[in-house]
Amino acid sequence: MSSIELDHVSKLYANGAYGVRDVDLSIGEGEFVIFLGPSGCGKSTTLRMIAGLEGISSGDLRIGGRSVNNVPPRDRNIAVVFQSYALYPHMSVRDNMGFGLKMRGVGKAVIDEKIREAAGLLGLTPYLDRKPAALSGGQRQRVALGRAIVRDPVAFLLDEPLSNLDAQLRAEMRLELVKLHRRLGRTIVHVTHDQVEAMTMGDRICIMREGSMIQVGKPLEVYANPVDTFVARFLATPPMNLIPARLEGRGDGLAVIGDGLDVPVPDMHRTAYAPVAGREVIFGLRPEDLHETPQPGCARIDVTVVAMEALGVENILVGQIGGAGGKPVEIAARLSRHFTAPVGASVPLYLDARPMHLFDPETTRAFPRPALRIVKS
Amino acid sequence: MRRVALHLGLLLTCAVILLPILWVVRTSFLPEPLSYSPELMPAATLDNYVALFTSTRYGQSYLNSLIVALGSVVVALPFAAMTGYAFARFKTGGRTGRFAVLATQMLPPVAIVLPAFALLRTVGLTNSLTGLIIVYAAVNLPFLIWILMGFFEGIPVDLEWAAQTDGATAWGAFWRIVLPVSLPGIAAAGVLGFILTWNEFLFALVLSGPQTATVPVALASLQTSNGVQIAKVSAGVVLAVLPLVIASRFIQRFIVQGLTFGSVK
Repeated sequence: MSSIELDHVSKLYANGAYGVRDVDLSIGEGEFVIFLGPSGCGKSTTLRMIAGLEGISSGDLRIGGRSVNNVPPRDRNIAVVFQSYALYPHMSVRDNMGFGLKMRGVGKAVIDEKIREAAGLLGLTPYLDRKPAALSGGQRQRVALGRAIVRDPVAFLLDEPLSNLDAQLRAEMRLELVKLHRRLGRTIVHVTHDQVEAMTMGDRICIMREGSMIQVGKPLEVYANPVDTFVARFLATPPMNLIPARLEGRGDGLAVIGDGLDVPVPDMHRTAYAPVAGREVIFGLRPEDLHETPQPGCARIDVTVVAMEALGVENILVGQIGGAGGKPVEIAARLSRHFTAPVGASVPLYLDARPMHLFDPETTRAFPRPALRIVKS
Repeated sequence: MRRVALHLGLLLTCAVILLPILWVVRTSFLPEPLSYSPELMPAATLDNYVALFTSTRYGQSYLNSLIVALGSVVVALPFAAMTGYAFARFKTGGRTGRFAVLATQMLPPVAIVLPAFALLRTVGLTNSLTGLIIVYAAVNLPFLIWILMGFFEGIPVDLEWAAQTDGATAWGAFWRIVLPVSLPGIAAAGVLGFILTWNEFLFALVLSGPQTATVPVALASLQTSNGVQIAKVSAGVVLAVLPLVIASRFIQRFIVQGLTFGSVK
């Protein structure tokens, strides 16, 4: 049994500040869960509480159905891979990997066999007698993983294990970790502030801010249905465009009216947003929902180009809309790599409002509407 | 031109530092009557070294110094390591505790030496190496704690956490991971403690007797009513400096080494 349940778990520090506040989460056996959030949001603290390295101020933490609030880390049978790798510098790779088994009194022959297996799995066989100092960053990261694997723990807790790797190695290791999860079938809790890792690796994302878990769900569901402007902006780069506007009735329907913005609300959202009519709102739309060519059902907006970022596979247009009635609003559009425009030019963009969001400017919470589903192609 | 000036400056600095030492070495090989000679090397003899060991108690003092310096370090280091670790990792005693440790170093030694003498006399440990070892261990402890605390603070806590999740107790993590990783720091602290004890004069003068005098006391005793036997003193100084030269070399190697490389990042 390797389920992990956090039952209204909090971490209150001596100075009265909450590190983690009332986290209520159930992680299923074999699930790959991502804790995502900015620095200082409490994700690593939550991970350390699961590992037993940090005390729990209130709530109950259960692993495999057993309450472990007062169980020391060594008796939880959980492996942690740290951001810094935390390899024992005075030990060889072999000794690093075998340390956990040695601590548990496992026989030398069994330890050797498990190290051999894990080293083979991670491509570490040629480096078993080296010290950590003689390894590259990627190899050290693998040793840290290997040290966790050999113990055959009930769950793996990964604390930003890829953040010290260069971009290419990070992409490779991302894939390796996903494969490893499939092969081992163990529960994995992976802490990261990288949206790409969050979107691509986990079964579920748990987004944290200021110690609280503000949204939990499948990556694409969270992406398509953020609960507030923080999640809307945090989950992607460039983030969701958020434009101050007003929702007004227009004939039988509704329209989002703002400075340089006049977008009819699609029929699919009309009923849901009808109660908000007449209120100030924040109109949210992802950069990929803006197009350079007219498309059926799309509203036109005129954008003054501030910058064009050519990424090879696509071009990101950063521009401004409005400005007549006050400060212009900066927006981003994810466009075709063939589209270019000079800085300062005014270009028409076509806005697909079907995946639109409306947020309450006072609470930043999303006004409820039927959830959208994005199907993985 | 600038380079030449720089090197001249460096040479001058080296000369200021090294010449007195070299002059002492030179004097230690001169017969006593020629020891104040202005000539560079009017004669050469090993008589001073021989005389130190035959006509004075220098040999005994040398052995005493070795025993006391090593003994006090061996006694103080485990306490210093554990206390330093507690300060560094668990913030034991908070800032007040740290300041208290530092504050003990602010007292002039002369303020402690008489109470120390009274204490040792009560337990019958004056004029004994054991007494000196205990006093030096106590006097050096705050300094060693302070050094080791800094060293332990530099060790990533992740290492201990990793050990604990790997199945070690807090003590096991300290013993199996923190201590081996801190060996360079502990060795450096040990060498510094050795040097401090080796050079200490006041406590040794007050607390030791003829049988237990250490090297600084023995050197001082060469200044007799008949005057200073400068050649013999020089020979004693050269011998006294030798362990420090070796220790300095050792400490440098250990401090530079830095074992934690490769453990994190």
